Amino acid sequence: MSGRIYWNGTPVPFLPGENAASALLRAGIAGFGRTPTGLPGGVFCAIGQCQGCLVMADGRLTEACLLECREGMRLSPRGGMNE
Amino acid sequence: MSLPMDYDVVIAGAGVIGASTAFHLARRGMRVAVIDATGPAAAASGASDGAVSVASKKPGVMARLATASLLYTRSLAQTGGPLHGIYSARPGYFFATDPAEELALDSLISKLSGLGGPVTVTADGNGNIGLAGLGPTVRRLVTLTGEGHMLGFEAVRAYLSAANIETIWPDRLMRWEADDAGITVETSKGHLRAGKMVAALGVSSAALFPDLPVLPRAGQLIVTDRAPGQPLPGALTAASYLIAKTAERRALPNPPVVIDPLVTGQFLIGSSREDHGDPSRVDFPTMRKLVARAVEVWPALGARQIIRTFAGIRAAVIDGMPIVGAVPQTPRLILATGFEGDGICLSAVMGREIAAMVAGEPVTDGLAADISALTPRRFEIGEARSA
Amino acid sequence: MNEPVVLVVGAGLAGFSAAAEIAGAGLRVLVVEQAAAPGGAIHRQPLPGIAYPVASAVHRRRWTQVTASVRAQGDRIEIRYGCRFAGLDHEGTALLTGARNALVRPRALVIATGAAERVRPRPGWTLPNVMTAGALQIRTKTLGKAPDGRILLGGSGPLLLAAGAELVKGGNPPVAIIEAGRPFRHVIGSLGLPLPYLREAAGYMATLLRARVPVLTGTEIVRIEKRSGALTLHVESSSGGRTFDGDLIGLHDGIRASDHYAAASSIPVMRAGDCREALGARAALADGRAAGAALVAELTGTVPASAKDSSRIERERRAQRRLARIFGHDGSARLAALPADTVICRCENRTVGDLRALGPVPTDRDLRLHGRFAMGACQGRFCTEWVRALTDPSHAGSPLGAVRLPAHPIAIADLLDAGGIADNPSTGE
Repeated sequence: MSGRIYWNGTPVPFLPGENAASALLRAGIAGFGRTPTGLPGGVFCAIGQCQGCLVMADGRLTEACLLECREGMRLSPRGGMNE
Repeated sequence: MSLPMDYDVVIAGAGVIGASTAFHLARRGMRVAVIDATGPAAAASGASDGAVSVASKKPGVMARLATASLLYTRSLAQTGGPLHGIYSARPGYFFATDPAEELALDSLISKLSGLGGPVTVTADGNGNIGLAGLGPTVRRLVTLTGEGHMLGFEAVRAYLSAANIETIWPDRLMRWEADDAGITVETSKGHLRAGKMVAALGVSSAALFPDLPVLPRAGQLIVTDRAPGQPLPGALTAASYLIAKTAERRALPNPPVVIDPLVTGQFLIGSSREDHGDPSRVDFPTMRKLVARAVEVWPALGARQIIRTFAGIRAAVIDGMPIVGAVPQTPRLILATGFEGDGICLSAVMGREIAAMVAGEPVTDGLAADISALTPRRFEIGEARSA
Repeated sequence: MNEPVVLVVGAGLAGFSAAAEIAGAGLRVLVVEQAAAPGGAIHRQPLPGIAYPVASAVHRRRWTQVTASVRAQGDRIEIRYGCRFAGLDHEGTALLTGARNALVRPRALVIATGAAERVRPRPGWTLPNVMTAGALQIRTKTLGKAPDGRILLGGSGPLLLAAGAELVKGGNPPVAIIEAGRPFRHVIGSLGLPLPYLREAAGYMATLLRARVPVLTGTEIVRIEKRSGALTLHVESSSGGRTFDGDLIGLHDGIRASDHYAAASSIPVMRAGDCREALGARAALADGRAAGAALVAELTGTVPASAKDSSRIERERRAQRRLARIFGHDGSARLAALPADTVICRCENRTVGDLRALGPVPTDRDLRLHGRFAMGACQGRFCTEWVRALTDPSHAGSPLGAVRLPAHPIAIADLLDAGGIADNPSTGE
């Protein structure tokens, strides 16, 4: 079902079956915080291999490109809200 | 026949024991070569957690040697010393979640007080005394001050960067022959001639010394991703780890686990004790058991990912003590192996004392009795032979 | 899991054709797929309710046939979506994570995880909105339309042309395609490709030409910069340099097999499709069937099927070699000329300068322990090739550090949540 997820508290619409990376990119959100070593996080390979698109979801780090959107899901950049 | 000497001493094995021995021999002005089939810190020394710890040692010989080595390591780490910036002090934490572990903590405290320093208990109490962030099942936490940490591969590199040490790798020792004047060593790339040889081969000892009761003992290790925020100030070790080292192995209610904070902000979680030598042998159930205990004790780990696992292979000896000393009937050959995970801690003092043995001098007076307990003569190893 | 199943990892062409083959012999199969729907890369499906205008009839027919063959097996094949395979340990235990975390002990394993892209490091390649060309393809296929904004594709390989054509059909032609090779000079060589390849290529070129998409050959990407909210692509060819402004950049320098780790264990392990050898869709289908048949033979103690499928694979292999020659170019000079601050290891933020600081011939241990290359979360997938090329090309293809468990990072929470197998009482203390 379509609906909304939340990125850093901001609502982001998603389509049925869409993954979080796709929803965020469509909403113009391309930077997913910073990696622990200082590079910008974001989508690179889109197939769960590069670990670049890791986001915090439900207290655990997960690849946004493999995370199917669920209504009300709350995501934030690695390292926490507002980086 | 007197062949010209390439080196005064050749050391087989570029692990932390061989490296420290090389440093101490070079410091005496000897020409030293270190040969390794792979490279520096290729085996246990590179897989270790790096603890320089007295607490984890069996009471008696090992704890006394560890105390001497900790003190000596600290002096080598002063400005200008070889271990400066390599060894650093950090607190050690031992926890108990059941009565058996609490007893082990009592034994630990009395062992340390019997040694008279430099490791002291700076906190001892329920749960969060001394460390915030522990899980609720921790009944008691003992905080130790005076111990420290150094990464095995960095220690090896530091020891070997001294002058007069030639490093030869990758090159495998094939055979040797001792005669009245020296030792001739045949390697995969040629021949060497040295006055003496030190065999610091760790798990590879069995290949060249089949009679030596050195056995591989694997320990599974888990590496996490980087954690944000304040890391643990020092390693957090289950008191059952102390029981595992000192008593006969038996089924323990709570597996020994060590949570070691790495400088990167990652965690190293270990370990098991398995009788094999395969660094690729890890299994999910054991991984889960270790991680479950670790998360119970340090809940912040629950948010982390596991990015890598492997098995570190320790060189264990049948009676639990390293083998250090000249081979019977072959005084030019000195063995230094079987440190079973204690190599980094003991490297400083062992390197110095083995160098004394090589130079034909007595070992440090106060350590002589303990070092003699490590002699290879306690085993019937027959004539040393070549590979 | 009540009875031993054959675990198939990946619901793409190879995984599905293997699963159908194995189930057809009467064995039970569990297919695990990390995405929410099957298809892998080549047959990435549009989201529910979205019509994808781009797939050809041939393409759609192939997928329809494969999915039908799986459906025909009924409940002999169970498929779990959103489920990832984290590796098989030496005792034969596999960890599955996702909606249902589980430890399972399959009777056999087929790894069909497809291919991944190779992307050469370039200054600025770690900026947001710079991704693989394949990532742009996935977005176009799943959404049924191309992403918005000015899109640039660059690197080398036939995938760039396919991706460009898909963007055109998706309603947003790329601003340009930057190709380092000179494929159009190899007209005679191209004629040696199998007819389906030529038809496909002709289709892409026709689409690109109609949309007037410039394809610059013999042109290399020099760097990517961020400039006032957008990206600038600097390229160079023998006739000089120029820049393009864009919003999204898709990079691609080739395909590699995407291996997953499985310990030497007592159960049979097969690899099928692009993860065994990157040969494309037609080979994947044949390879999956062949792997399935070989596995059935091994498990039932019968004689394996004929070599019919292996000639197909040999044909595809020859075609791929020919394509490699057509698009071939020497990128080694470009790689060697990268500025010192170019990131090579994205996970640990390690640069060309960090690599050079290790000396002329660093050992693997130097690279990993001192350099921290291949020590991060991606386990060396994206940096190893370039580290090898820059230090010791004779080691090309060998992993940096032994390949181990887990196959990719796993959440501790998932491991602890995994039901199915009790703790092993015999290891540890």
